[in-house]
Amino acid sequence: MRLSDASVVIRPRSSWEAMDLGVLLARKHRVLLMSSWALVSLPIFILISVVLWDYPSVAVLVFWWLKPAFERLPLYILSKALFGQTPTLKQALRQWPHLLKGQLLASLTWRRFSLSRSFTMPVVQLEGLAGLARQQRLGILQQRNAGAARWLTLIGIHLETALWVGLMALFYLFLPQQVELDWDWQQLALASSQDWLWLEHLSNAFYALILVFWEPIYVACGFSLYLNRRTVLEAWDLELVFRRLRQRLEAAVAVLLLAVGLLVIAPTPQAMANPPVDSKPLSTPQASQSIKHLLEQPPFKNPETVTRYRFGEDQGANKTKPGADAKLPAWLESFLDNLNSDTFKSLALVMEVLLWGLLIAGITLLAWRYRDWLQAFVSRRRAPRPKAEQPVPSQLFGLDMGVATLPTDIAGAAEQLWATKPREALGLLYRGLLSRLLHDFNLPLKNADTEGQVLERVRHLQQPQLLAFSDDLTRHWQNLAYGHRVPPALAQQQLCADWRSLFDSEAAR
Amino acid sequence: MPSHTALPGNAMPTAPLDTRYQIETPEGIDLPLRPAGLMPRALAFGFDLGLRGLILGILFIALAFLGNLGIGLGSILLFFVSWWYMVLFEVLNQGCSPGKQVMGLRVVQDDGTPIGWSASLIRNLLRFVDMLPFGYFLGAISCLQHPHFKRLGDIAAGTLVVYREQPLARPQLPLAPALRLPFALELNEQRAILGFAERQGELSAERTHELAAILATPLQVSPARAVEQLNGVARGLLGPT
Repeated sequence: MRLSDASVVIRPRSSWEAMDLGVLLARKHRVLLMSSWALVSLPIFILISVVLWDYPSVAVLVFWWLKPAFERLPLYILSKALFGQTPTLKQALRQWPHLLKGQLLASLTWRRFSLSRSFTMPVVQLEGLAGLARQQRLGILQQRNAGAARWLTLIGIHLETALWVGLMALFYLFLPQQVELDWDWQQLALASSQDWLWLEHLSNAFYALILVFWEPIYVACGFSLYLNRRTVLEAWDLELVFRRLRQRLEAAVAVLLLAVGLLVIAPTPQAMANPPVDSKPLSTPQASQSIKHLLEQPPFKNPETVTRYRFGEDQGANKTKPGADAKLPAWLESFLDNLNSDTFKSLALVMEVLLWGLLIAGITLLAWRYRDWLQAFVSRRRAPRPKAEQPVPSQLFGLDMGVATLPTDIAGAAEQLWATKPREALGLLYRGLLSRLLHDFNLPLKNADTEGQVLERVRHLQQPQLLAFSDDLTRHWQNLAYGHRVPPALAQQQLCADWRSLFDSEAAR
Repeated sequence: MPSHTALPGNAMPTAPLDTRYQIETPEGIDLPLRPAGLMPRALAFGFDLGLRGLILGILFIALAFLGNLGIGLGSILLFFVSWWYMVLFEVLNQGCSPGKQVMGLRVVQDDGTPIGWSASLIRNLLRFVDMLPFGYFLGAISCLQHPHFKRLGDIAAGTLVVYREQPLARPQLPLAPALRLPFALELNEQRAILGFAERQGELSAERTHELAAILATPLQVSPARAVEQLNGVARGLLGPT
C-alpha cells in the first residue's frame, strides 16, 4: 500500500463526509461494482428461488441472509481500486471464492445482525485479524465513526425498503390497462398463495435488483468510513505531506550538487535550440481549408445533440383513481361530528367571508401593484389611439406654421420680396407649402421631421405635380438655407408660377 | 500529485476523488464548499418530517374542538405546513430547516450565495417529482448518482446542500522553543507541520515518532529528537501568541 498512489484525496473528514466519499467512490467504479455484484448474486438468487419455489418468503430471507458473503467482493474491488489497481471483472469474479474463506461462518451467524457491519468488515477481510487481535482493533476503531456506521445501516434498511416498494409501484404503474383491470391488490392479498407464487418471486427479484444498485454503495460507504478512521488514527495525510517534503528537500540538495558540478564543467558551445525547420508554404485555398477545419473543432464550435420528448397524441382523459384523496381518519371524523355544534357556525361563516375577502383583496392589490405593467402589455391594441389627438405642430424647422401668419397671396408676396430679401421670399414659399400640406392634405408632419422626411410623405400622396414642385422648392430652400446660394432669377419666376398653378387654381376651383 | 507517481496497468484519471466543490469568486478567491450526500440529508429530512408531524398533530387535536371551523383551519394549516415549512425556513433562516440545523447542513445556490425565494420554491415544489413513484425513489437515485449529490429539485433550482462551517476550538500546541527552518515551506507543508503538533494528542506515541522520523534527515537531527524539533518548528510557524 502506497499512500501516494491513493485515488482519493486523503484528509481527515467528518463521518458524514467520509460516507459521501464512499458514494463518490462507488459512483466512479459503478459499472464494475454493479456488474460483479449482479453476476455473483443473481445466479445464487435464481438457484435459491428454484429450490424454495413453494416458499417465496423463505427464499428472500435466505438471500437477504447471505448478503455479507456477497459484500466481500465489492470491498475487494474497492480496496484494490483505491490504490489504482482496479481489477477487471474477470479477475474480481475469480477472486471471490478465495475471499469467502476468512470467518464466513461468523459473519453469517452472530455478526450478521451487527449494525456497523460495513465498518468492521475491512478489519477481517483486509487486515486479516481474528480473535482477540480483532477485538482490540475494533475497540480502537469504533471509538469514533461507529455511530455513523450504524446510521448508515439504518438508512440503508429504509432506503432498500423505499426503493423496493418504489420499484414495485413502478411495475404496477407500467402495467397495460387490460391487465390491470383484472388485478386488484385486495384480491391479490386474499387469493390463495398458489396462484400468485410467481408474483411473489417477481417482487423478490425486484429486491435482488435493488441490491445490485445499493449494496456496492453501502460497502463503499463503510469502507470509506474505515479509511477515514484510519486516516485520523494514523495521520495518513500528514505522512503523505511529510514524505513529499522530504522528497522535495532531497531533490533540492541533488539539484544544488548538480549546479555546482555544472559550474565546473565548461559550458557546451550550443546552448540554444535550433531554429524551427521551416514548414512548407501554404497556398491560400489550403490555408482557408485548414482554418475552416480548425474552426469546426471544439474550442470554436461545440456541436451538441439534443434529444427531446414531444407530446404524442392525447390519450384522452387521465384516469383518476379513487381513494387517493386525503381523508381524516374515521375516529377523528366521528369525534368532530359530535362536537359539531351551531356555536361555531357563524364564526366559520365569518372566517369564510374573511378568507374570500382576503383573496379578492390580494388580487386587487396585485392588479394595482402591476397596473403599469398591465397597461403596457395587456392593452397594447389601444395604443394607436393617441395618434388622432396629436396636435398639428405650430412650428416646423423653426418656421411659424399658423395659417394666420401667412399672407393670402403667397406667390405675389414672394415675388415682391425676391429682389430685396430672397431668403424671406423662399422661406415664405416653403412655409406656405408646409402649411398647405398640414392643413389641406392633412399630412401627419411632426416637429422632428426633416425636409427629406417631408418629401417622403409627399411622395405617398401620389400627386406627381405636387411632388415635382415640392422637390424643386425643397432643393432651392436647402441650397439657400444651408448653402447660402440664391436661386437664379429664372427659378424664382418658375417657383411662383408653379405655386399659382398648383394652389391658386385649387383655391379657385 | 498523481501526475508524478508511477501509474500501474490501467491508469487512473488525473484528479483524485474529493468531496469538495470549488467556487472561484470574481476576485479570484477559492471557496471550497463541501456538498452533503444522501445520508445526512435523509436524517435531516426525517427530523423535519417528524417535527412537522408533531406540530400538525398537536394543532389538529386543539382544532378538533372547533368543529367545522377547525376542519377548515386544519386544512389551511396542512397546506401551509406541507408547502411552506421548508421554503420559509430555508429563505429566512440562512438555508437551514430545523432538521438541517441539527445535521449541520445548509442550502446555498450553486455559486455559494444564499438561497432566494424562487430557487427555494422550485426545489421544494419538485420534491413531489423526487418522491415518485414512492418514498423519494427518484430523488435517492439522483442523489447517489450526481457528483455533487443533487436530487432532481436541486438540479432544477441550481441549489446545493452543503455542510455548514462549524466554529473551531483553539488547538493546544505542545510546549517547545520556537524554531525557524533554513529553507522555505509551502503552505500545505506548513499546515501539515502545524497539524502534526495539534493532533499529537490523538496519535499514539509510536506513530508520532514514526511520522517525525520521516523528516529527521532533512531537519538534520537524530530521529529521536525529531518530534521535539517539529514541535518547535510548529511553534515558530504559529508565531507569538
